[in-house]
Amino acid sequence: MNPVGYAAIVLQVGTVVAGAPLLTGLMRQTRARLEGRAGAGVLQPWRDVRKLLRKEPITPVGTGPAFRWAPLVLVATSLVLAVLVPLISTESPVRGRADLIVVVALLALGTVALALAGLDTGTAFGGMGASREMTIAALVEPTILMAVFALSIPAGSTNLPVIVAGAADEPARLTSPAGLLAIAALSVAVLAETGRLPVDNPSTHLELTMVHEAMVLEYAGPDLALVEFGAQLRLTVLLGLLASLFAPWGIATSASSLAAVLLALLLVVLKVAVLGTVLAAAEVFWAKLRLFRVPELLAGSFLLALLAVTASYFLGGEGGQ
Amino acid sequence: MLHLSQEPAMTALLLTAPAAAPLALAGAYTLGGLRAGRQAAEVSTVQRPLEPVAAGGGRAAAPMPAVAPTISPARRHPRDWAGLASPLVILACGALLAADVIDDGPVSAYSGLLRADALTAWMLLVVGAVAFIACASAPAYLAGERATDRATGRTVMGVPPAHGGPPARANSRVGEKPRVGEQSRAWGNYHVLVQAFLGAMCLAVVTANLGVLWVAIEATTIVTAFLVGHRRTRTSVEAAWKYVVICSAGIALAFLGTVLLYYAARQAGIAEAWALDWPTLVARADRLDPAVTRLGITLVVLGYGAKAGLVPLHAWLPDAHSQAPAPVSALMSGVLLSVAFAAILRYRVIADAALGPDFTRVLLAGIALLTLALAAALLLAQRDYKRMLAYSSMEHMSLIALAAAVGSPLALAAGLLHIAGHGLAKATAFCASGRILQLRGTSEIGRVSGLLAQSPWLGAVFGLAVVALLGFPPFSLFASELGIARAGFAAGAGLGWAMAAALLLVLIAFAALATRTARMLLGPAPTGATAVQDSPSALWPLTVGLAACAALGIATGPLGDLLSQAAAVLERP
Amino acid sequence: MSESLFSQLLNLACGAFLLAAVVVLWRRELAAIVRLFALQGLALATIALLLGLHEDRWDLLVVAVGIGALRAGLLPYLIRRALAVLVAGQDGGHGGGHGEARETQPLVNVAASLLTAAALTLLSYAVARPLVELDPTPATRALPVGLAVVLIGFFVLVTRRRALAQVVGFLLLDNGITATAFLATSGVPLIVELGVSFDVLLAVLVLQLLTVRVREAFGTTDIDDLRELHD
Repeated sequence: MNPVGYAAIVLQVGTVVAGAPLLTGLMRQTRARLEGRAGAGVLQPWRDVRKLLRKEPITPVGTGPAFRWAPLVLVATSLVLAVLVPLISTESPVRGRADLIVVVALLALGTVALALAGLDTGTAFGGMGASREMTIAALVEPTILMAVFALSIPAGSTNLPVIVAGAADEPARLTSPAGLLAIAALSVAVLAETGRLPVDNPSTHLELTMVHEAMVLEYAGPDLALVEFGAQLRLTVLLGLLASLFAPWGIATSASSLAAVLLALLLVVLKVAVLGTVLAAAEVFWAKLRLFRVPELLAGSFLLALLAVTASYFLGGEGGQ
Repeated sequence: MLHLSQEPAMTALLLTAPAAAPLALAGAYTLGGLRAGRQAAEVSTVQRPLEPVAAGGGRAAAPMPAVAPTISPARRHPRDWAGLASPLVILACGALLAADVIDDGPVSAYSGLLRADALTAWMLLVVGAVAFIACASAPAYLAGERATDRATGRTVMGVPPAHGGPPARANSRVGEKPRVGEQSRAWGNYHVLVQAFLGAMCLAVVTANLGVLWVAIEATTIVTAFLVGHRRTRTSVEAAWKYVVICSAGIALAFLGTVLLYYAARQAGIAEAWALDWPTLVARADRLDPAVTRLGITLVVLGYGAKAGLVPLHAWLPDAHSQAPAPVSALMSGVLLSVAFAAILRYRVIADAALGPDFTRVLLAGIALLTLALAAALLLAQRDYKRMLAYSSMEHMSLIALAAAVGSPLALAAGLLHIAGHGLAKATAFCASGRILQLRGTSEIGRVSGLLAQSPWLGAVFGLAVVALLGFPPFSLFASELGIARAGFAAGAGLGWAMAAALLLVLIAFAALATRTARMLLGPAPTGATAVQDSPSALWPLTVGLAACAALGIATGPLGDLLSQAAAVLERP
Repeated sequence: MSESLFSQLLNLACGAFLLAAVVVLWRRELAAIVRLFALQGLALATIALLLGLHEDRWDLLVVAVGIGALRAGLLPYLIRRALAVLVAGQDGGHGGGHGEARETQPLVNVAASLLTAAALTLLSYAVARPLVELDPTPATRALPVGLAVVLIGFFVLVTRRRALAQVVGFLLLDNGITATAFLATSGVPLIVELGVSFDVLLAVLVLQLLTVRVREAFGTTDIDDLRELHD
């Protein structure tokens, strides 16, 4: 048992938990500045959480266990994801379990829990949001699976740390057609999964367009805090995953020195912050897609992922097969 | 007998002339057309406000009198008759080459690019004969069209042409007439395009290079597009669009198949210069990779099948045949389909040598039966006589495909004879139908009756042509259909059943064709229509075609040797 | 050029070639579709160029330049000109905004056509297996890309309703075949290549003229309105 590995895990989870609301704050602040507003500051999400946690818990009449458990399931799955996804080190003690399929299944579990909660309230908005979320999820989950699968073919394993370590050793894999297509597909899928523009607008309550907000409309108090926190965790973990898969430089590939782990931590924070800022800046210039155009976008990204798989299967190997 | 193969220059000339003569004639027509166009432009700048009709009149300096049911030969355009030169050249070259190859075997020129064997000579003769009928009946047809243009042009000019907005939907196909100037200009290009069409078909027949064969067949699509769409009415533009899109896409598949075959040939160690050469490919077919060849041949059969009117890319055929000018329909139906099918026959030899006979047998028999079923079903419901003839073409092409599927010497000889007989009879039928359309102004079967009473000669020619197409003796289609059926039943149980099904479908088509033709021919002349005496010069080419078809059915004579040798070319090596 | 660099660049060019075809399905603006088609022509020329450099064949380089000029320059120019004529004609006529410039409603909606394209790609990989097994090299291993573009071109041809979108579909089909020829055998003999290019150019000219006539006769270039002839 390697103490550095455990230290890396603890550091990773701690950073994600602490940093997730900060990342959201950073993105909101970036948007605000680009739109010419002063903004509420980077710390505002933390203040929101504190405020919400102090309120008394309220559940609507007639809701069942699905409504009550969903926030907990969402946060729990997100936390497990934060443990599993290799952000800082590929030599962690949980590396054997950090399988691609497990990661996608955990993501789907969180999504389904929230959709069930939306249905459980019995309101029109909740049901509408849930059905929209499921439409999107039906295309997004396979896309993520496909895209990472395309990257796993050159590595020969669906284990995330192995894929990331392979890419860090051999950057040429990323500039192949398969790599580029997978990057494009995964980026779109992450946008959809985390409910960002152009798929969903996190800052709207317009009934024609909202997806995520419609599902969680009935939550209040600590439950709402958990839901928001879970969503922030997912965003952070997925952006981190994107950074690890496509810009794995600096990640600690051996569990020997604490210094390498700390350096990796610093780099990953930097990478995620840059990604978040870029995403926020892009959102300023994008318009949200009309809802019935969303499946086109997602089908497109699914197609890209599929092409990535076929490309890495057939084009890739130099005399491989 | 002349023995020309000792003289390479003579051989080269004989091989070049069938394709070059029509192209040269097309060039001459273009030049003449340019000159006439300049004159017309000068005339039109002066006269347009007063008499817009003369604008596109081309060489026709003297304005024609208003519409006349009979067209006096004195007013015929000499340009129209010049087009007969190229069919004569093709026929002559075909005959000389036939004499040559029967005695001495295949000849070639330009390092194998052009090559003639018995099949080439046979196809050249068919192309020449059908082109002769079509070109000889063109002057009368064109004169009739010009007369109707003038007549309707005067009446239409008052109405502004529908531009920009969707024009009012025409009630029937008869009333559609576009602006007269453009129409006449379209007729100016008619000869250029027809001659280019003939040249492309001859090139497809005489080349031994499968790549050049593809280029030539695709060229036929391009040059005939404007002939199909010459009227610029909604129906003819639609037909032209479908024709170009379906044929180009279909034939692109054939090119893909050709590329794959080329790949297989290169991998089999054949040098680049010879990897598309048909004799080389046949000789070394056993070395081709079977899987790649199978894929390539399937694509080629589908692709050229589109051009030959076979399922699944057949949808252009009835539209294009019904909208094109009658002589062009005659050429398309009579020879274009069979030229494309001759390409399939050539590929079939390669495929059989590389894959064994079963693959093409199943493929061709399946396609043939599907086409036949479709043609029979649509013939039953047909209300337009030009479309009826088009579906009858599909029926006959599927019989030829069935003959190719059987593949015995008898079947191949019968199939080739069927190509010739169908070409002659169908060309006659289409040319006659063009005259009927001019006479009655409608292509609906239900509105044409009493043809024999109104115009006995025309009715008789049309009726006899349909009788020939139905497969009655003495016409050659009787002999060839009999041959195909006998060969099919002799070829084994599977093909026997296919042949039985085919005969049943042919019977359905027979009934449909016969009843509809009878409805057109018989009955009293329509009230108000005067009896029309067609001038003999409009009908003699059609009579010649029928006579040739009948003669071929009674005795093949010197052509018998050529036919058996052509079938031998296509036999499995 | 080293072997691995060659195969990497070839793969990139093939990837761009396929991607252009896929994105054609995604876009509705005809102008964007034509731009994508021009990009695809460039990718095709790059494939030919790479093969020529790899095999030290100067004639292939010339062919590559010719293909680039035809498929990335001349053909897109012709289509764009036809498009400009159509759009101008419409503005002069009745309203309807930019109906001629957009593929508003393909017969199969965009999401479904993208998924179909995915299926077609898989199909082409399955079909191309024997081709690749015959002679596995970096070039032949990319053969399925050519076939996939052929199939996608066919699909565009069948499901798009604007006349010019169908023309682009036909050209995609043709690009795919040319790419197949290059990847399989470094191109067909020069005389055939010339003939094919000439035929394609003429076909596009004919289709361009026919498009104008379709519009004159029907008032629109929606091919679905061509329903006069049927049985």
